[in-house]
Amino acid sequence: MSYTRGTIAALVDAVVPATPEAGDDVGAAGALDIDLDETVETAFNELQEAPEGPIRSLGYETMPFAPLLALLLDFGALELILAREREEPLQSPGERFAGGPFSRLAPEDRMRAIRLLEADGLFPALDERYDAPIGIVAYLMQGALFITTMAAYSDWGDDAEEPQGWQQANYPGPADGYAVHMGYEVDEFEENDYGTASTDGGDEA
Amino acid sequence: MTGSGIDMADPDVVVVGAGGDAPALAWRLGQQGIDVLMLEAGPFHGNEQFPNPHDDRGNAASAATGDLSGDLLDQQFTAREGDMGSPVDGKLRWGPADAERAPWARTVPQTGVISQVAGVGGTTLHYYGNHPRAFVPAIDDQPHWPIDYADLVPYYQHLESVHPVKPAPTTPKAELFFEGARRSGYDLTTGLNVDDEGYRPFPNAIHQPDEALARDGDYDGDFRDIDGDTLACHEHQGGPHPRGAEFEDRAKRGSLVSLVPKALDTGHVEIRPNAFATQVLTRAGPGPLEACGVAYRDTWTGRTRRIFADCVVLAAGCIETPRLWLNSGLPDDGWVGRGLTTHHFDFVSGVFDSETLEDIIGQRKVEPHQGQAAGSRLDVPGKGGIAVNTFAPGITASVMFSESVNGFAFENDTSGEPWDTEGRITGTKLKEQMSDYRRMLTLICHTDDRPRQDNGVSLDANTEDEHGPVARLDWSPHPEDDERRLDLARRSAKLLDEAGATHIHRAAAAPIFLHLQSSMAIGKVLDAGGEALSVDRLFVADHSALANGVGGANPTHTGQALALRTAEHLAERYFDGVADPIPADQTPASADD
Ligand SMILES: Cc1cc2nc3c(=O)[nH]c(=O)nc-3n(C[C@H](O)[C@H](O)[C@H](O)COP(=O)(O)OP(=O)(O)OC[C@H]3O[C@@H](n4cnc5c(N)ncnc54)[C@H](O)[C@@H]3O)c2cc1C
Repeated sequence: MSYTRGTIAALVDAVVPATPEAGDDVGAAGALDIDLDETVETAFNELQEAPEGPIRSLGYETMPFAPLLALLLDFGALELILAREREEPLQSPGERFAGGPFSRLAPEDRMRAIRLLEADGLFPALDERYDAPIGIVAYLMQGALFITTMAAYSDWGDDAEEPQGWQQANYPGPADGYAVHMGYEVDEFEENDYGTASTDGGDEA
Repeated sequence: MTGSGIDMADPDVVVVGAGGDAPALAWRLGQQGIDVLMLEAGPFHGNEQFPNPHDDRGNAASAATGDLSGDLLDQQFTAREGDMGSPVDGKLRWGPADAERAPWARTVPQTGVISQVAGVGGTTLHYYGNHPRAFVPAIDDQPHWPIDYADLVPYYQHLESVHPVKPAPTTPKAELFFEGARRSGYDLTTGLNVDDEGYRPFPNAIHQPDEALARDGDYDGDFRDIDGDTLACHEHQGGPHPRGAEFEDRAKRGSLVSLVPKALDTGHVEIRPNAFATQVLTRAGPGPLEACGVAYRDTWTGRTRRIFADCVVLAAGCIETPRLWLNSGLPDDGWVGRGLTTHHFDFVSGVFDSETLEDIIGQRKVEPHQGQAAGSRLDVPGKGGIAVNTFAPGITASVMFSESVNGFAFENDTSGEPWDTEGRITGTKLKEQMSDYRRMLTLICHTDDRPRQDNGVSLDANTEDEHGPVARLDWSPHPEDDERRLDLARRSAKLLDEAGATHIHRAAAAPIFLHLQSSMAIGKVLDAGGEALSVDRLFVADHSALANGVGGANPTHTGQALALRTAEHLAERYFDGVADPIPADQTPASADD
């Protein structure tokens, strides 16, 4: 387990945890049961091609965003801890987690760390101050949650015939069709009057 | 010209992009005998010239409807969510056709997600076929448009008859929505021209379903022996149904299956996929500057070429059209790329118990995965619109529960609000919500956000890919846009509550850039005929040409209507005019012509 993978494991586990105690409806398995840490790491490393310039000359064809994501998550966790905004005790990291501060936060505190990174913390404050696209941090945080969630509930994160997330949602998968036609609320729309066009329509430009 | 690998030697018009709107323009030009070469950055699906579009380059171009293959479409469009729609490695993404490569870069220095698709058909490969006209007051009363609503009507009518556009069928989830709307006091709208509140089935560019698919009937076929929509709800995944049908008979009328065949059929249109335009070529003209061609790069071979033509049309979408403009060093008076509108989406969902559902719709689940993805709506001119928007679980989880500007539900106090939870949901709570997927109705709010010069596309001079500096996107809502959105979210919650929802959730969504309009607006960057004010012979025919967000109605109907109109202006100004003007027909459009 690398630092990057293990830190991302702490992320995906907080979003879709294993819930052995939950009822059958909900499904006990979580994101780590389908190795979503690996899916998200790969997705972040393949999010976009590397621009011309220094990153490419280092040999990267795509942006190495996954290690950056892991670093940022730890940065956010550290800020949460230092700012005393943590609400639950630190815990020993899960078996597949890395050893950094993000991996030691309770699940909801991990989300609070993300909120600092995108909205309330140091990075957003720097973004106000400097004329550089620091808001890219917020973009990556949004991407992390979006990708984790979409992958957890689709074949993106589990390419089995019936992915785990589809099973947990009780979604039967793509079908050729459904006989659910109940007629028409309106048979045809009418070409109704739209009044006379007003004359203040647009000379402003 | 043939479907084999060489460029049309000497096109009259070169068009950048073959997405949602460009095929409408190309078709109209082709009808006038004008030779059009379309350069498309992404792949061409369902085409014999490109049998494995994500693995091999295939031939260079396609110019004949005989190349189009329903069988290939069936193979390529699996209807699996991730396989089709992963923004990173799905078949429908903003990136090169080559599956081995990563998506193309954009700089987005804020919370947000972009959803655009590269490929013939563009973002309509994902779209839900929703084709409402603009709200009348958005054109006639807002100050942005240099033309009247009446000028668009003949083009709307034309598209309504050719796609065709028809009232969506009622399905159980639509009936649940209608009942909530009725109980909230809204009336049914039956007119195409909307300037008042009301609910209605969506005017959709989706073939109506076979009558055999009646819910209370006894259809037990295999859905390959019927015509029209199979109600499979796979619009987002490319929507190839009905399986086995001819290419052009697929139910969802995205540009790929509806307008592209018509354009090719004129015998004057050739489409070259895998061709990324990098430069608009200009020369000094009688005016200050005049466009004369385009340079592009083959995305598989890296080879660059120049194509010269009498006119150039940009239709690369709201982000890439201004990027190409700026990378070409064309003049900018401050509005190039600016004034972007994006409908400031929100999402509100309700979960229902089985008894309530039994009462209202005669079945014990909502079944969001059955029936058209978006078949019913509520119009609120002046504020925007609300629509049923349903998805398979992956997109449901991500749009409903993973993106918000209001933090996490576990921190948000919702007392006094019409929703039970607000913001992102994670952990056990997310799993609980998703286990209710089949009893959930999800609504989208499309806000009538207004054009502002601060919002839009510029170049990120520090980030350059093989096509030049990449686009940077900045967009934030004005407080008035936030207010309109909140109003729509509250109406959505009320509607769900009236229908009997037991748990209502508001996403308070972070920007999802998926409806994009007005970044190269007519009246600002373009004249009323769609031609650039500062460069002759250069036109724009995608949603960036729209003067605002059309009030919050889904934009593609207006984008395509305007593209048809722009084609006619181009033909009038630089060729022999239009032989068969589209008539202003005040009678309802018919599906049969
Ligand atoms: C999930 C989803 C559902 C939607 N549902 C609806 C709906 O129901 N109704 C509706 O009205 N709208 C809907 N939309 C929005 C709609 O799809 C878009 O508004 C519409 O496709 C935009 O059309 P366009 O021509 O402006 O751009 P696009 O359709 O994005 O086309 C632009 C094309 O240009 C190509 N291109 C870009 N740069 C270059 C270049 N430099 N050289 C060559 N080619 C280039 C792109 O690859 C692309 O094919 C939906 C969108 C999504 C994502």
